[in-house]
Amino acid sequence: MGARRWTARARGFRAAAAAVAALGLLATGCGGGSGSGDGKVTIRYSWWGAKDRAELIQKTVELFEKEHPNITVKTDFSEYTDFWSKFNTQAAGGNAPDVFQNSYAFLRKYGDKNLLLDLNGQAKAGNLSLKGFRDGLEKAGDIDGKLLGVPVGANTFALFYNPDAFKKAGVTVEDGWTWDDFFAAAKKVRKSDGTLYGASDNANVMYLYDLYMRQNGKAFFTKDDKLGFTKDDLTRWWSLWRQHAKADELVPGKKSEQAKPKASISADLSAAEFTWDNFLVRFAAETKTTLDLGPIPTTDGKRTGQYLSSLMLSGSARTQHPKEVAQFIDFMTHDPEVGKIMGYNRGIPATTAQYDAYKPQGVDAKIAAYEKSVSAELEPITPHPAGADVAEAAFLRIYTQVALGQTSMDKAVDQFFDEAESALGS
Amino acid sequence: MTPTTTRAADGARPPTGTSGAKAAPGPGAAPAAGRRQGRRETLAGYLFLTPWCIGILLLTLGPMLVSLYLAFTDYNLFDSPQWIGLQNFQDLLEDDRWWTSVQVTLKYVLIGTPLKLAAALAVALLLVKPRKGQGFYRSAFYAPSLIGASVSIGIVWRAIFNDDAIVDKSMSLFGWDVGGWIGDPDWALPTLITLTVWQFGAPMVIFLAGLKQVPNELYEAAAMDGAGRWRRFRSITLPMISPVLFFNLLLELIHSFQVFTSAVVIVGAGTNTGGPGDSLLVYGWYLYEQGFHNLRMGYAAAMAWMLMLGIGLVTAVLFKTQRGWVHYEEDAR
Repeated sequence: MGARRWTARARGFRAAAAAVAALGLLATGCGGGSGSGDGKVTIRYSWWGAKDRAELIQKTVELFEKEHPNITVKTDFSEYTDFWSKFNTQAAGGNAPDVFQNSYAFLRKYGDKNLLLDLNGQAKAGNLSLKGFRDGLEKAGDIDGKLLGVPVGANTFALFYNPDAFKKAGVTVEDGWTWDDFFAAAKKVRKSDGTLYGASDNANVMYLYDLYMRQNGKAFFTKDDKLGFTKDDLTRWWSLWRQHAKADELVPGKKSEQAKPKASISADLSAAEFTWDNFLVRFAAETKTTLDLGPIPTTDGKRTGQYLSSLMLSGSARTQHPKEVAQFIDFMTHDPEVGKIMGYNRGIPATTAQYDAYKPQGVDAKIAAYEKSVSAELEPITPHPAGADVAEAAFLRIYTQVALGQTSMDKAVDQFFDEAESALGS
Repeated sequence: MTPTTTRAADGARPPTGTSGAKAAPGPGAAPAAGRRQGRRETLAGYLFLTPWCIGILLLTLGPMLVSLYLAFTDYNLFDSPQWIGLQNFQDLLEDDRWWTSVQVTLKYVLIGTPLKLAAALAVALLLVKPRKGQGFYRSAFYAPSLIGASVSIGIVWRAIFNDDAIVDKSMSLFGWDVGGWIGDPDWALPTLITLTVWQFGAPMVIFLAGLKQVPNELYEAAAMDGAGRWRRFRSITLPMISPVLFFNLLLELIHSFQVFTSAVVIVGAGTNTGGPGDSLLVYGWYLYEQGFHNLRMGYAAAMAWMLMLGIGLVTAVLFKTQRGWVHYEEDAR
């Protein structure tokens, strides 16, 4: 009898022990398993974008795996801001993806925190070629002598406009036109077309204001990580747009908020909008209206202040497989087949090999023609300090509140300076 | 998890040796053997408890302590935290957006919670009496709160209240032209509140259980005395279910203060603002934005503790006031 009791206890014991053991197994099952002994290497590649890009990227990854049978690439994607919050969480846990999509605006932010792999060493070791990049783009990811990213595509700012509406209003878009010309055109379009506003209210777009500042010999950020303009400058810029918005020539703040996630121009609210030229691909999918690309208005009739910005691939400083990461980046930037597959999805390909391999058609041809037309005007890019992304978000939000009538101009300008300065200071 | 812990809790009791006898009532067991067996049971009990203990230490207590520490530091997720004392809390009080988030959340809680409870109680009253299709209706009304926290519902809500979508279009038919509700600073929050009110299923089920407990004799007696429907509801139903009402109120308030998913999804992933003119900047979201977008984790931790203080305060006040309006059967002396 005692023995039976004992076995019952023992069984309970064993069950408990098994439960604990199972828990332990579970833990190791989650943690380990990435590196294996047979020379096969797995790298994680994450990027931001949507479904259309996902399909293209999957094709390029398959191509890479075929050429490098010892490397497996696990991909992972999310939308733009979700991407960064996920990335921050993973990176803080020491678990950043081995290789990931990056852009110029984030190089310093993460470079300063030693999260990005310096690819110079890999380039020297011959795992990554820095030859054949267009327009000096191989230097785009160079921050203080470290190569923190390699561009896969480049794009520049553009005016998007509805050619039919402009024609009807009798205005022509021409090189070297001024801001006055632009607002006059918007006014005419608004008068001739009962439904369309002349332009979207883009006073909240940091990159456009940057161009305007560059035309005036300044820039959004200075080289020593500060704001490159005064409160008066910003008040003048925002007031200029407010004045035309109040004259009912620009899309009202509420309407453009309601149209989201569409842009005002692709929601057929306005006849003109400023953004990156590769957005033409997206807008073409969102609206039936034909859109053309035109030159950025100028202050002096000459200088647009434009530059090439680029989407890049960066490696994690903590990756276990820097060589494979470099090989992957090399393949993604140079392989002509990849160029054919990706097209202008991430901007115009950064290397001549990929640029020549892809023959643009449809909207892509328009983007190519536009970039060709502005290539002579391109200047070096404005530096982006750590905190630039926070400043950009504040710029966007605070002017939107002005446009919604929630705050006064003076208060808004003060608030922007407060938020931006504290973001840049930290 | 639950079955393990309950069994473990049974096993953990024996230190006194009493329930050891209950588990194995062997008449011939010597006292010494019993003690040894008791110890073994204790050990087994603790073993069974381990997963739960590890869970609470690693996943609840640990993070809470770390977060408390971080609240007094400047921490950007990557460099090691710098102790800055009360600076974060001081900054909070001077942060306009923090105050905006407090306001938005208070509006959401103070308008949303009573409406939600009223809806839950009203539907529970309708569904408490046996009628045809009762089961169907109960599950139909409960379903939204089952899927409520999910992202998909947020997406559906966004699609319904978007510009040119079904709500906008059908309201326009009646001459009420708002445009996209979620893009309108005046209508975005009401849209979010509608979503929470619509998810009244969980409190409804609890109300149903409470309503069933009200003895029918009371109603019969009241009816004999000539009390009308409203009078019966006010004088019998409400006091009788007041403990349930209290429970629901507490739960929903705490829950509402932590609103996050629905707000984020409705405004749209891929935007970095709190909705049109920050009109949907709920507390949880601002906390998340500061922590994970702006890399101010210390600041976010300070926000979390302020929220905890706020919820604690509200709960304490509720407990204080419950003497006035919550009636427990045992109290009736």
